[in-house]
Amino acid sequence: MVKKTEDYIIEMENVSFSFGNLPVLDRVFFQVRRGEFLGLLGPNGSGKTTLIKCILGLVRPDEGTVRIFGKAPWDLNDDRHRIGYVPQLISVDLTFPLRAKEAVLMGRYARIGMLRRPKGSDREAARIAMERVGIADLADRPLARLSGGQRQRVFLARALANEPEILFLDEPTTSVDPTTTESFYELLGGLHREGMTIILVSHDVGVVASHVDGVACLNRGLVGHGRPEEVLGSEEMARMYGCDAVVFHHGRLPHIVVKRNDHGDS
Amino acid sequence: MEILNYTFMQRALVAGTLIGVLCAVMGVYVVLRGLSFIGAGIAHASFGGVAIGFATGVNPVWTAVIFCLGVGWSIGLLSRKGRVKEDTAVGIFFASTMALGILLIGLMKGYNQDLFGYLFGSILAVTRQDLWIILAVGLGILAVVVLFFKELLFVTFDPEMAQVGGLPAEKLYFLLLSLVALTVVISIKVVGIVLVSALLITPAAAAHQWSESFRSMMALGIFFALVSTVGGLFLSYWLDTASGATIVLLSTLIFFASAVFSPRRRRRKVSVASS
Repeated sequence: MVKKTEDYIIEMENVSFSFGNLPVLDRVFFQVRRGEFLGLLGPNGSGKTTLIKCILGLVRPDEGTVRIFGKAPWDLNDDRHRIGYVPQLISVDLTFPLRAKEAVLMGRYARIGMLRRPKGSDREAARIAMERVGIADLADRPLARLSGGQRQRVFLARALANEPEILFLDEPTTSVDPTTTESFYELLGGLHREGMTIILVSHDVGVVASHVDGVACLNRGLVGHGRPEEVLGSEEMARMYGCDAVVFHHGRLPHIVVKRNDHGDS
Repeated sequence: MEILNYTFMQRALVAGTLIGVLCAVMGVYVVLRGLSFIGAGIAHASFGGVAIGFATGVNPVWTAVIFCLGVGWSIGLLSRKGRVKEDTAVGIFFASTMALGILLIGLMKGYNQDLFGYLFGSILAVTRQDLWIILAVGLGILAVVVLFFKELLFVTFDPEMAQVGGLPAEKLYFLLLSLVALTVVISIKVVGIVLVSALLITPAAAAHQWSESFRSMMALGIFFALVSTVGGLFLSYWLDTASGATIVLLSTLIFFASAVFSPRRRRRKVSVASS
């Protein structure tokens, strides 16, 4: 287990977590390789966000070990800067008076350190991040006057401004239209080809499966982890989603391989 | 303006200016972070703190400072640990601290005229010593805000992201609560316990209607607060009305004018029409 740190950027062993009496994660084993583009899938309430929060050190598991960069998440110190996080859009107050460039610069705040002001190099990093995601022209626009897709890019730029090695995205394309979603995934694909490790949390199997190179499916415990076509066609997945047709309403893409209970493959 | 020759009026103007700036600055965080109810709860808790001061013979400002910090932290701790929801925690302290104050007053012999001043504010009775306390504590609060400007902005906007980045989000939240508690305590002599939360919330809320950046919201909030305190002071003098109430009602008028005329409202209408 000690030697694996070179290969795996994230390692979870036997992790369990519960809110009071409600089990959220049940004996999860989970690893992510450096450079992987992984979709973390599962129905609503399956523990996806909690799993991410365990890795980020926002919650502590009741049992098991979590390692990121070979360290415990609450013991990362300066290695925190190697993590980029794009939270769910709905968790953000859209009336907050903030310009896009100010929101992006926040990505540098922790790195700058307490009691210090942002320097020219920090503003430069923010500008480069905004250029990378294609919102350089929106720098002075307040958040309230951005579309959902543009706002999502602002938060991606905020994560990138800190020059991370691994990127976590929690349901990044909820409430964003299909065309915007597609170009957002192309952007992520580009980052991935440049060597970024990406973990994407979603309940939208169809859209995610066609962009990532690995999926992990969670329903309290891990029910599958591997290449999309292997995992998504499995009996476990069909059982996990049951006859719930939520996934198929998003079926704009031809790649959906999850079995529907009665009607065969869709 | 011959009224400016009166010492009490000069002191009132200085106190009003200091309190206005302070309440507006902290109010921006209160409004954006959704701490309005906590602010009101802490304000009412100060009644208990002031009563302890009267009962023990200590300057009520200091007992109120300690008491309000304790209540602010208790609300934060109770809701953070998931025992109760935040608004429930506020509700419990809101009532119990007022009750404690009333109980203590009941135990003291005779009706205390000074206590009435703390309830409804007596800006015209501000003493030189009050001014020094407001100035010292106020400058301390502003210094902390300047020092931790970017950290407080980050935890106000997105506490989870701040924590992921490695900022001590929890400690900064308690720092914010402490600053709000201190602001409330040094403001009560001017506008009173009952009305201080309005001065904390209303000018910042009015500024929120117009602002597209954090700094402009703060600057505009300060401007609105100064118009309210200084303007309200003169109005109350000319109209012979209660000063605290006049200040608060003037700021409320500014808020409604902002809500009706600000571009944000017009934009919202447009987006509703187009969707």
